[in-house]
Amino acid sequence: MMEQDTTLQNTIQERPLPKWLTDQRDGLNQYQPEILEMKDDRSLTFSFAFTGILIVLVVAVLSIYVLKKRRKDII
Amino acid sequence: MNILFIRILALAGLFGLACTTKVSEWVLLNTAPEEYQLVCYHTSQASESMRQQNENIAAELKNANIKFRTAVRENEKSPWYELSYKNIPFARFSNAGELKGLSSSPVREKIADEIMAGKLCVMVFLKSGDEAKDKPRLNILRKTVATSPFRSVITLTELERNDTDELHFISMLLNVEDDLKDLNEPMLFGVFGRFRALEPLAGRGITGENIGLMVDFLTADCSCLIKDDLPGASILFTNKWENPMPAMVNRIFDEDPSLLHH
Repeated sequence: MMEQDTTLQNTIQERPLPKWLTDQRDGLNQYQPEILEMKDDRSLTFSFAFTGILIVLVVAVLSIYVLKKRRKDII
Repeated sequence: MNILFIRILALAGLFGLACTTKVSEWVLLNTAPEEYQLVCYHTSQASESMRQQNENIAAELKNANIKFRTAVRENEKSPWYELSYKNIPFARFSNAGELKGLSSSPVREKIADEIMAGKLCVMVFLKSGDEAKDKPRLNILRKTVATSPFRSVITLTELERNDTDELHFISMLLNVEDDLKDLNEPMLFGVFGRFRALEPLAGRGITGENIGLMVDFLTADCSCLIKDDLPGASILFTNKWENPMPAMVNRIFDEDPSLLHH
C-alpha cells in the first residue's frame, strides 16, 4: 500500500490524488535507463605519446651526459 | 567506416534496452501478484472436523496468491481466521463458512477473462449506494471512455457496495488504501496485470481528466520507476496467468502511431 496518500482526511475535497496519477500528470513516470553515448577512447594515444616523449627525454639526457663525459675525458 | 558502423550498432543496442512495452502488458507478463496470508487461530485441542475443514480450505486456496497456515493459541475460545495483506490484518472471520468465495467470485472471474483476452484494463466503478453521488460520476466515466481512442480495450464494471457475492472482493478493494473503508463516495479502480488494482479515483476525483490520466498511465512505456515501485495492490484471485492473448492496445498504436506517448 502506498503511504503518500493515506493521511487522514476530513473531507473528500481534501483527499490528495493518488501518486501514480500526479506522477503521470507531471511526467515523473517517464524515467528510463540512461542512454550512454559512445565517446572516443584516447587513452592509448596519450599513453603512446607519453612513453615516446619519456624515451626521447631519457635518450637526450643520456646523450648529453655521455657527450659531456667524453669531452672531459679528452681534455 | 568501421568505427562509424560499430558506433551505430552500439547506440542501437542501447536504444533497444529502453523498454517500449506498455505498462499494462509488462505487468501482466512479468509481475507476479503479491500474496495474502490467512491464519486460523485455534487451541491445541482442535477437533478432527476442524482439521479436515482446514485441509479443504488449503486445497481450495492452493492456486491463489495466498498462504494459509494454522496457529495454536491456548486462550482462544473458538477457532477464527485472520486475513492479512503485506503483514497487515484487515479482515476477521469467525468460521470457515465466511471464507466462501474468498479467492474467486463472478466479477473477479469476468475481470480476469477480460485481461487475459488482451484488454488494457477493467475499470471497476464501486458505487457508494447514494444515487446522487454515483450517477454523475458514472456518467462522466461512461462519456470519457466512449470518447477515448482506447475505448475498445477498456471494460467497465459496476459494483454495488453491498453485493453479497462480492463481499471479499469489495473488502480487498477498500483495503488498497487505509482510509477507503471510511469513505462513503463512489470509487473508480483501474484493474490490470495479474489483478492489480490502482489506488482509486474517489468522489469528485472521478473526472474526465483523471480518467484520461489513468489510461495514459496504463498505455505509457513501462519505465524503471513503475517496475521498481508498482502502484496499487494485488487482489486475491485463483487463476493461471500464463499465455495471455496479445495486448490489443498495440494494434491501436500500430493503426495510429500519433497516440504513442511516454
